[in-house]
Amino acid sequence: MEIFVKIIEDAVFAAIAAIGFSAISNPPKVAFKYCALIAAVGHALRYCLTTLWGMHLVWGSFISAFVIGCLAIYFAPKVKCPPETFAYPSLLPMIPGIYAYKSLQAFLMLLGRGSEEEFTHYAYLLQFNGLTCVLVVFAMVLGQMIPIFLFKRKSFSATRG
Amino acid sequence: MISIAMMMTAKNKSHVCAADASRFLANYSAYLWGYGATCIRITKNVNRMAESLGYRADITILPKHVAVALTDETSGEYAHYTCSIKSLPISYLANTGMSKLSWDVAEGKVDIACAEKVMGRIFRTPLMSVWHVMCLVVLANAAFCRLFGGDPIAMAIVGFATLLGYSIKNICLKHGVDVRAMVLLSSFVSAIVGSAGYVFGITSTPEIALGTSVLYLIPGIPYINSVSDMIDGHYLCFFSRTMQAVVLTCCIASGLTLAFMIMNIKIF
Repeated sequence: MEIFVKIIEDAVFAAIAAIGFSAISNPPKVAFKYCALIAAVGHALRYCLTTLWGMHLVWGSFISAFVIGCLAIYFAPKVKCPPETFAYPSLLPMIPGIYAYKSLQAFLMLLGRGSEEEFTHYAYLLQFNGLTCVLVVFAMVLGQMIPIFLFKRKSFSATRG
Repeated sequence: MISIAMMMTAKNKSHVCAADASRFLANYSAYLWGYGATCIRITKNVNRMAESLGYRADITILPKHVAVALTDETSGEYAHYTCSIKSLPISYLANTGMSKLSWDVAEGKVDIACAEKVMGRIFRTPLMSVWHVMCLVVLANAAFCRLFGGDPIAMAIVGFATLLGYSIKNICLKHGVDVRAMVLLSSFVSAIVGSAGYVFGITSTPEIALGTSVLYLIPGIPYINSVSDMIDGHYLCFFSRTMQAVVLTCCIASGLTLAFMIMNIKIF
């Protein structure tokens, strides 16, 4: 039961984040609810894959992003919007911001250290966090792009009136 | 069916010379890029319209310009038009409207003159209210903080940091401040407020509050668009979009670093 509550909580907060971040890119009003739904499903799926089933964050992000891309293509013709309208904002809550922040922090620590041992430690942190951040972002974007490129006809004719 | 399509093509073409069509299509591409469309979408939409007008389109998309060359393969008529890319806020509402317009032109529902008017209407469509966007972004960033494991006080700190940072962003936009300076300033203000957890010791997750406080500034859409361009082989556009996003990310990092130094947060 506790796990179920955590999954729901993750989905709800991802939906709120997706609505807010999608507002920055001025989507049609009808798109908000789909952004929220797709982001909730995608983020909750990543939570299950990584936290419950122990999958690596990179693979979890890739699979979740792939599902996000598929859902966006499914909903796009119904609302007559390009699938990017839903897919991109739904992806934003999955950005590994804390890894990016820790990379910056490690970089700054690196500059301020004199001893070799400390330098090596912070160089390790910089590489670990930086690499994780870059790979997660790349996996996310690639995972979400694959359905759009696989189903080109459907993706690019969604707005056909 | 085929004869109807041919008649439609002939009808459209009889109204539009290659020069007018290339001017319209280059302008269309420049606006679509400005609204945040990927290269593959721009190419598909332009080709669709050009084909319906009876021309073969060759599009060159550069970081600052778009060039459209139209050739009538039967008569040999040729026209070329280059247009500067418009600097516009990313808008999926406009993106959707422009994509619909391309289908309308391709299916002969509107002619080029009418399409230009529709494009003007799309351009003038008001964006979402700044206040509404700000409220949604504040909630989104607070929710983001929660997703990273922040406690309710960290969420409140992030919400307030976002409110102030986003207000600064809006003020800068209103006064036409350079985007890089705007991002740096907003990041700095958000990070100063976001460091409240460290300064007052009121949250058990001050690191998450500080790290999340600037994330609403991350240029996510340009990063995603750049990968799409890379997959589609538009390497110049990929590089250009990536560099734009990287520069903005560096500005965010600089604002954050300045805040670290001023607030004397012990990371040095």
